[in-house]
Amino acid sequence: MTSDTKEIIESAGTNLPNLFDFSSFGVFWKEGLFLYLYQEESCPPSFTKSVVENMVKVLSILGEEPIDVSRVTLRVEKRKLRPNQMMNPQATLKSHLTLPLPVEGEIIGCISLNSDQPNAFDAQDLQFFSVIGYQMTATLKHFQRFSSIKDMAIYDTLTNVHNRRYFDERIGAETQKSFLSGTPLSLVMVDIDYFKNVNDTYGHTEGDKVLCKIASLFKNSVRKDDTVARYGGEEFVLILPGAKLEVTSMIAERIRRLVETTLFEVGQTQIHLTISLGISNLPSHRARSEEELIKMADHALYNAKRGGRNRVCIFMGYPAE
Amino acid sequence: MASTVREDKEGKWSSDLVLDLYSGLLKEIWEIVSALIGEAILALLFLSAIRKIGEKHPFLISLKVSEEGIVLDRLKEEGQNLSPLEIHRGFQSLINHLFQLFSALAEGVINKELFPKVFPKVKEADRIISQR
Repeated sequence: MTSDTKEIIESAGTNLPNLFDFSSFGVFWKEGLFLYLYQEESCPPSFTKSVVENMVKVLSILGEEPIDVSRVTLRVEKRKLRPNQMMNPQATLKSHLTLPLPVEGEIIGCISLNSDQPNAFDAQDLQFFSVIGYQMTATLKHFQRFSSIKDMAIYDTLTNVHNRRYFDERIGAETQKSFLSGTPLSLVMVDIDYFKNVNDTYGHTEGDKVLCKIASLFKNSVRKDDTVARYGGEEFVLILPGAKLEVTSMIAERIRRLVETTLFEVGQTQIHLTISLGISNLPSHRARSEEELIKMADHALYNAKRGGRNRVCIFMGYPAE
Repeated sequence: MASTVREDKEGKWSSDLVLDLYSGLLKEIWEIVSALIGEAILALLFLSAIRKIGEKHPFLISLKVSEEGIVLDRLKEEGQNLSPLEIHRGFQSLINHLFQLFSALAEGVINKELFPKVFPKVKEADRIISQR
């Protein structure tokens, strides 16, 4: 759930007490099974539990597949919704209105108004609540589309790793951070060995599949804060903030071995592939700019190729003129 | 022979009557419930119900639903070859399932609005079937 989404929910939670008499307002987000409850301060655990169970049940019915309530992540915000009333310590859910949040034919979650009183809601409440639900859905759809456009601007559409444009921005920012704070920064340039042969032998469609698979291997091999980007046709680049040279070397070698031992499906057959990797590092290599850091990693990659491919090379300086 | 022809004709007419009755009923349900929960949500619920009940009553798959409403033309064409009883059972199951979905969402709030309209029509369908 993004911070934009949380803001929308909190805004709804703040305004709803002016419109309805309820004990809690819930939003259940299908992705990640995140359930956000905005409820009366004096709500006992029995009430919260019955609301959660009901929302899980409804979303299971709507989504036509069961949801395990133990997998739900619950976040509760308590507010004084009824200043002069305290809820019964044994209160449970007695009435509710629950509506799905549909976005382009798909249910992304549901919202719910809940009460410890029976028959707390009528047709008019339902009409009004559905209008709020649609407004919330429209806003969420807008944020989703905006986020998709943002994604298109920074992700390579084939391999789903970051694109060159994102890399250029990121390396600039990380290099500056490293210069200012002295924290290490590593760059790894990666090239698939003899990739042209794959395209020539099996065609570009199969070649694209290989690129996707390799990109996926890279993504799964790096740490959370690392960046994987497609630098060119069959060239990738990894940004490892905070990584010293030794750690980077270990990660690079692990990736190299992983690719070497993976079987790639191309057409009706399976093939082995290898990669060459070149590493540069701040502060070890004393690059004075991000361009220099990139050039150093590129030179190390060149040495890896010259040295026989399927290897990791660390930048060792440029040959004497 | 003549009585067989007559029986076939009566069966055909009953099918038409039942189809017309339930077509009208579905449209009425659409009008009432869409005013409460909106077309987008209602379309989703209808599609879910059709998917589920269509497993046992495949003719219902011909029912086309979108945010603009329900389109029954193809269903009416294909339903002509079904017995009135099959049509009646299929639609009854569909409407029961819709009621269950409405109840899951809003307990009695929606169904309270629907019962006065739906119940007499279902009784009428029962009467048509039993007259055969």
